[in-house]
Amino acid sequence: MGIIDLNELQVRFGNRVVLDGLTGELKGQAIGLLGPNGAGKSTLINTLLGFHLPAKGAARVFGLDTRRERAQICAGIGYMPENDSFIGNMSGVRFVRYMAELAGLPAATALERAHEALFYVGLGEVRYRKVSTYSLGMKQLIKMAQALAHGPRLLILDEPTNGLDPVARQRMIQLIKEIRKEGSIRLLISSHLLRDIDETCDEVLILKNGRIAALCNIEEERRSNRSFIELETVGATERFAVSIRSLGCECASFPGGRIKLVIPDNIETRDLYVIASEQGVQIRRMNQRRDSLEDIFLRAMDNDSGRAANGSLQAQL
Amino acid sequence: MAVYKHNYSAYTGSITPPWKRVAAIARYAFLEAWSSKITIGLFVLSLLPFVLFLIGIYLANNPLARALINSQGPQTIAIDARYFAKVLSSQCWLGFVLASWIAPRLITFDLADNALPILLSHPVSRLGYVSGKFIALFGSLSVVTWVPCLLLFVYQGYSSPQPWAAANLRIAFGLFAGAVIWIAFISILCLALSSWVKWRVVATGIIFAAMFVPAGVGGIFSAVLRTRWGLLLNIPVMMSNIWQRLLGAPAPFNDRLSLPTGAIAVMLGLACFLFIAMLNARIRAREVVRG
Repeated sequence: MGIIDLNELQVRFGNRVVLDGLTGELKGQAIGLLGPNGAGKSTLINTLLGFHLPAKGAARVFGLDTRRERAQICAGIGYMPENDSFIGNMSGVRFVRYMAELAGLPAATALERAHEALFYVGLGEVRYRKVSTYSLGMKQLIKMAQALAHGPRLLILDEPTNGLDPVARQRMIQLIKEIRKEGSIRLLISSHLLRDIDETCDEVLILKNGRIAALCNIEEERRSNRSFIELETVGATERFAVSIRSLGCECASFPGGRIKLVIPDNIETRDLYVIASEQGVQIRRMNQRRDSLEDIFLRAMDNDSGRAANGSLQAQL
Repeated sequence: MAVYKHNYSAYTGSITPPWKRVAAIARYAFLEAWSSKITIGLFVLSLLPFVLFLIGIYLANNPLARALINSQGPQTIAIDARYFAKVLSSQCWLGFVLASWIAPRLITFDLADNALPILLSHPVSRLGYVSGKFIALFGSLSVVTWVPCLLLFVYQGYSSPQPWAAANLRIAFGLFAGAVIWIAFISILCLALSSWVKWRVVATGIIFAAMFVPAGVGGIFSAVLRTRWGLLLNIPVMMSNIWQRLLGAPAPFNDRLSLPTGAIAVMLGLACFLFIAMLNARIRAREVVRG
């Protein structure tokens, strides 16, 4: 059983279907949630937290139904929202203590854990200042501290690096990596930034128009022994791409003559030059490299229908 | 996760029962309410009538003071249901002033800082959140309403030369019930209105307007249609009717300002239903745009 199980999950706001038929099992140590704006990432997180009720289907966290067992689920979750969300009139330590008490910690323990969480995220020196006086980076960190203080089993981070400068972003990424390495917490990280997900996650769920465009294990994708080539061409690129496909290659074309392809074992790169020569296409650059998260994402976005895919994504090229 | 180690460790200790989380919300809200100097000032102000009524009871029961008062004229201070109706009325209206200051502090800070997503992501329901705030407000208002009223009742029972308290238990019940109905009503009213306004001062103004503007509208309605049913929009008159009946005091108004108890109960019930609907619409972790 995964950490999060989705079974034909559908969420509607009035007549608008926001999430449609989501099915899958998320079981990674750190799960990335990717997708363009409006894809349904935040709605999925809110549904897991019980803020939105499914119109159809079900979502389960730790095997508990989000509709009926919300309180038990929330007791095991630490949530860091995307936007500013705090009580500005309180000092940092008081705010984190309050949140820990709401999570079910006794008052004295909550205070102790609040101090520890604030030191852990690097806000130890400013913990007696009012939260409203914190900088944007500090506000991100205090949201992280309150999410950690009660020792959750699942940490949900919605755009954790939002608005951070490069140094603060790096510190946040490092923090997430440390939490992941510690091993007692599973992570669900929603982000627009592929690099953040690439650095921190081992599994990725890509949403598009409220549907699952891809669900795969990043590590397995990377390990898969596929010959991945990126070309920059000039000339009749489309005709060239069709010819390559006829050889048995999986191929995706992009503007500016860029082509990404996976060549089967029986095809040599020399064959590409032969076809290019026959069709008068110039190959200006050839970059042979391993599959990246960006490629996984772009392929998922390229797939118009948006459908579930487990493991290999070759069929979606 | 020790402070000096700067590393993370999972929590393996005990977990409090669900009701303690509501109690935590109430405790933090109570401390927030009383952290303001203005709250303390209003509290002191609301105790001034209490002191005056206390002096009145002392004078009414002290033989020397009674003799001095009687030497000035024939009037004496009668400590009866009418006297306690005045006590209850003054304390309750001062309680309303206090509520109009405190309630926005409890709700609007959370709304202005968008704290609800974080608060409600914990194992606390929306009902639990509102209940916590309600308990804090109800507790704060109790300190200036039924508690001082009952203290005066006890003092009158103690200082009266005759066995007064046992013969006037209805007054004690009326003081308690009248104050509880009032503070429960204004607590819901103040929380509901505060939840719709992010600016604290504006929220206080709207609370006052909600109390007195409908009374004016009801007055116009009554005058135009020559009916007394416009008084059902007049909360001060409705409450005076309730307090007078609970205490068994003579009616302070003529018959034209008297309303049936059932009609008042239905009207207050409808108002509470409206306020709960307002809270239900506003106290949410996420605003949903339906399309």
